[in-house]
Amino acid sequence: MTTLVRRAGPAVLLLAMWQLAAAVAAGQFVLAGPMAVLAWLADNPGLITRALSVTLTNAAWGFLAGNLAAVLIAVAGMLWPRALGLLTGLALVVFCLPLVATGPILRVMMGPGNGPQITLAALAVYYTTLIPLLAGLRAAPSVWFDLVASYGRGRLAALVHVRARASLPYLLAGLQIAAPAAFLGAMVGEFTGAERGLGVLTIRFTRDLDVPALWSVAIVAAGVSIAAYLAVGALGRRFRLERPPVILAPPRLSRGSAASRIGSATVLVLAVLALWWGGTEALHLNPFFARRPPDLLAALTSAPDAAATRQALLQAAAQTAALVLPGYLAGLALGAALAVLLFLAPVLSGLVTPLAIALRSVPIVTTAPLVVLLLGRGAPGTIALVALMVFFPTFVACQHGLGQAPGQILDILRGYAAGPLKQLVHVRIPAMLPAFFASARMGVPAAILAATVAEWLATGRGLGNLMVLSASVSDYTMLWLTVVLVTMASALCYGGVAWIERRVLRVFAPEQVDR
Amino acid sequence: MPDRPPAPITCTGLAKTHDNGVIALEPLDVTFAPGQTTALVGPSGCGKSTLLRLVAGLDQPSAGQVSIAGLPPARQAAKGAIAMAFQDPSLLPWLTLRRNIALARKLARQPADPRLVDELIGLVGLEGFQETRPAALSGGMRQRAAIARALATRPQVLLLDEPFGALDELTRRQLARDLPPLWQPLGTTTLLVTHSVDEAVLLSDRILVLSPRPARVVADLPVPLPHPRPVQVTESAAFRRIAAQALAALAQGVADSPALAAQ
Repeated sequence: MTTLVRRAGPAVLLLAMWQLAAAVAAGQFVLAGPMAVLAWLADNPGLITRALSVTLTNAAWGFLAGNLAAVLIAVAGMLWPRALGLLTGLALVVFCLPLVATGPILRVMMGPGNGPQITLAALAVYYTTLIPLLAGLRAAPSVWFDLVASYGRGRLAALVHVRARASLPYLLAGLQIAAPAAFLGAMVGEFTGAERGLGVLTIRFTRDLDVPALWSVAIVAAGVSIAAYLAVGALGRRFRLERPPVILAPPRLSRGSAASRIGSATVLVLAVLALWWGGTEALHLNPFFARRPPDLLAALTSAPDAAATRQALLQAAAQTAALVLPGYLAGLALGAALAVLLFLAPVLSGLVTPLAIALRSVPIVTTAPLVVLLLGRGAPGTIALVALMVFFPTFVACQHGLGQAPGQILDILRGYAAGPLKQLVHVRIPAMLPAFFASARMGVPAAILAATVAEWLATGRGLGNLMVLSASVSDYTMLWLTVVLVTMASALCYGGVAWIERRVLRVFAPEQVDR
Repeated sequence: MPDRPPAPITCTGLAKTHDNGVIALEPLDVTFAPGQTTALVGPSGCGKSTLLRLVAGLDQPSAGQVSIAGLPPARQAAKGAIAMAFQDPSLLPWLTLRRNIALARKLARQPADPRLVDELIGLVGLEGFQETRPAALSGGMRQRAAIARALATRPQVLLLDEPFGALDELTRRQLARDLPPLWQPLGTTTLLVTHSVDEAVLLSDRILVLSPRPARVVADLPVPLPHPRPVQVTESAAFRRIAAQALAALAQGVADSPALAAQ
């Protein structure tokens, strides 16, 4: 009974607060309480069930395809280690593609079916699976590989007998994050002109300002995401898989000189250009939709309106950056600060942690219309959305990281009667850094995605808006330009965070970068 | 009962310099007689394990070569002729004891032999634990399992890298008594890396004392004590004399070390 109270307590409290807030905000058309949501769902069971089943099916196919791609990339990287850098670089570039812009492009290229939703769902999941999977594949002690090598066996045997099983807990941690992410991808795909699904309902109810309906769709999307997250977690417990020490390990330290690093970056850029250009030509994609690199170069340099194009891009980029940066930094700071605070006040932790874990699995972007309803169409709403997108993964990862502090070092501090604050500063915060930086890195594309979705659905400014406007007037050159700009900015910022991460971890967690 | 012909190991001009420029092994010429157990003794970090890894084919020499019965280590390893046991038992945590031991035959591309696996489990005193996972075994039991795994392919060459190094004194003594009779009748050529001079004398037919890094041989001592050797042999005058010689050579090697002379 007490277990039941402890488990259900936070949820009941949240429901009560939600209902209270709805009562206070009644008449402002921003917030529908749980009773209104239940009433709407009871009145429209067929509509929501049909939409949910469409979105779930698309998400499931995308989940399957994206994770299969992640496993294949990881396996290829293990069998041909020389190609690993290029493979992960390409994977990062594709991960940084702005879903908001790739959605409309996929829509015109693939037509009205479920193709774009499934593709976007796959794009949303494969990287979050690939990174922990690669960490897991490398996580085994070197002596296990010596054992395999001592029988004269190579990489394939090491993969089959050691790496595959050793990476399972990491794969599962990735799949757990991927389950709600697939749902997010499918919904964003539906935003871009699908005929059925929860994303379509979201767009419709946003336009109609149907507050109870909008809240109901968001609650259903959140509920399904939490259920998917919990289901994959339960699968791990069912097979008694141990929890990996750090959910997302940092990238492998490049041991080459500066020149060789510049060389690999050049190879990556050339590979991206070759795949893009060669792919569009080989598949005979209509050049009107599928722009090639020279088209974009001409639009920026030699076209009559090149100056105006550059001006429009830069202005939109500045507007988006002004939302992304404060939101991203606030999300990181609040996530880490709350984790530390709850460590010092464990009583609160029992209340907040289950909620945070549940909310982390909610694809925040699918609830973007709610945040916009609550905080308005201006900058604060978008910044809050970006911060939320970064906050929950950071908070959960930092909490996990704080618990990873090495017991023997803590014992030494306790031996000197060091209090919780000293333990925190000297042991726990350094132990938290790998998890913090992993979320900081993965948060970069997520923050940009959140900002562009909010700009698209609500603010009417920035790159997100420019993407939607370009798509609506069939200005595919501008749409591709925004894709390239956002991808480059995302990948560069990701690389920048990884650079800081390596330097910090070399001091505080050298075992993480030397592996 | 040797299944395969004993294999001599010949190191010719064998040297190793690590990528960071540290010289681990000076050019070494040594032959390990077939069927003999040789202990490599030396201070920590002197290059004993490097030598073992070169013989196993796990690392490539910077100069010179290793030949096992006329073939390079990689070729012999691919034939399943080499087995290695490490200080860490390196049992895969998700496999049962039986499957961990059977894994060696799978890796060596030898046909499955459940009877041999069960026989080995019995010989190392782990009956009843066949279906147990490593986490539920003690350190000594895991190390026994690792030795059983190494023997599961009936290797011609057995390389033991401080296999008892992480164990308590009592368990070490017990394993040092119980395990050598398992590999000695197989006629394997065995190299044993150890820090313990007593262990070296107890287990081997020959002791190579190595200097501090870069390793060179400072003494090559035969151990003409009859097998099997009960633990009481450690109190015999012959045993103590050989141990004293080895210790003196170790001390001399350290004293003559250029690194120390520079200090």
